[in-house]
Parts: sequence; structure tokens; C-alpha cells
Amino acid sequence: MKALVVDDSAVMRKVLIGALSRTNISDVDQAADGLEAVSAVKKGQYDLILMDWNMPNMLGIDAVREIRAAGCKTPIIMVTTEAERCRVIDALKAGANNYVIKPFEPTTIVAKIEEVLAKAAE
Amino acid sequence: MKVEYINPFIESVHEMFTTMLSATVTRGEVGVSRGEADPKDIMALIGLSGTIRGMVAISFPVKTALAIVGRLLGTKHRVLDDTVSDAIAEVVNIVAGGAKAKLKIGDGPPIDLSLPTVVRGNSFSVDYPSKSVWLQVPFDSPLGNFSLRVIFENELRKA
Repeated sequence: MKALVVDDSAVMRKVLIGALSRTNISDVDQAADGLEAVSAVKKGQYDLILMDWNMPNMLGIDAVREIRAAGCKTPIIMVTTEAERCRVIDALKAGANNYVIKPFEPTTIVAKIEEVLAKAAE
Repeated sequence: MKVEYINPFIESVHEMFTTMLSATVTRGEVGVSRGEADPKDIMALIGLSGTIRGMVAISFPVKTALAIVGRLLGTKHRVLDDTVSDAIAEVVNIVAGGAKAKLKIGDGPPIDLSLPTVVRGNSFSVDYPSKSVWLQVPFDSPLGNFSLRVIFENELRKA
């Protein structure tokens, strides 16, 4: 399985890659903003995308909209500090499949990844 | 600026350190700063805009910053480099993100965050173009000490 990790923080990308490795996903591409994410999705195929919200150049939610508009159905988990309920609703409406609020415990993100992948496999 | 406005940031610091760094923090008394230099070595700042306008800053001694990076990545980090700046920026981003959700007024729009800025060095002052003062809270943790500063422009605006 292959995942795309999108976050403008290189440290957070490493943390998320560590979480993915606990779900046996070691093939990971990285993007530092929404624009890079949209570009990566157009070029490659992914089984899962982890998407930050607040990033330079293009916000994560706008990248989700573009990815869905392009017809990509890859499961997307928003991983963000945006904790307000209206933000969660906006993200789900935009096409995100699930939502994790930072800060998170390692077990929380691993469980959420496994949940989303299991649902996608149904 | 009302002192209670800093409470969501204090709670958010606790949450950040407990969940992502497996560390318990203890805080000192809330004090006032006029923006004078803080004898720490690295500071991350992030702006808030919308129904609240202001800024949050967290400053760390090198030792604490390195310990935080080490805990986040599960590695030993010995040099104050871009990775450390990146980690510290993410810490202030998470703290501000958690606090802004707690500060949201009713059905009003969420408060927006700027992208974080990191300053290295310890002989600078941080000014803000208003008559407000910075509220400052010292913290200690197993990863070392650090301090939180928050400033709002006047009072909370109505949504």
C-alpha cells in the first residue's frame, strides 16, 4: 500500500510516516502544501492521503476539493489543529473521509488509519 | 486584556505535552511582559485573526527544544537546526489551534491562524502595535522549561 502525507511541517510528516509504518505502510510520498499534494495525486496512485489544513500556497481543504473534483476516490484523513465542529463538517463536505485533531496520541492516529483503510476495503 | 483569556492556551499546552510528548507540564504564575527579551534561545510565534486578533509565542532554551524534537521523532537531536525550528513551529501551531477552538464565540466564524514564525537568538524584543501587554506563563516539564506568551488586541470582538 502507498500513502501520501501532506503537511508543511517536515517533523509532523515524519511523525505521521512513523504512524503509517505501524500499519505496515512504508511506501510513502510527501507533499509540503496543497499544491504539491494535488500534483502528486495527478501523477501517482495512493491508497491513503493524510492531509493537513493550514499550509502555504494551498490550504488542505482546497486540495481535498481539487482532488475530489479530479475524480480521485482515495481515502483522505484530515490531520489538523482545526478543531471547531464547523471545520470538521466543512472538511467532510469537501470530500475528506475522516478527521484527526492535533495533538493526537500515536494510538489514535494508527487506529484511525486502520479504520479508514478497513472501510475502503469493504 | 483579561487574564482568563490565557487559560485556553495553558490548557492547550497541557494537552500538547501530554498527548504528543508524553510529558506532564507544571506552570508557574501568570505575569505581565512588555515584550522585553526573554532569555531563551528559540521562539515560535503565530498570529490570530478574526473575532480575536493577537499573537501567541512560546520560547524555549536550546536544551528543551532539542528534547522536544527528540521525543517527537524518537531520536537524539544535538544541533539547533531547521528540524528544531520546524518542530517548535508545529508545537506553537498545535497549541494555538487547540486554544482558538476553545475561544470561539458561539456560532461565530472560527478564528484564523497565521503560519508560524520562528526566531532564533536571545537578545530581541517582541513588540505589538497596540496598548496591550503580553501575558506570560512559565512552564516546567521533564523535557525542560519554556514560557508561553499571549497578547490580544484590546478585548475579544463580537462575532
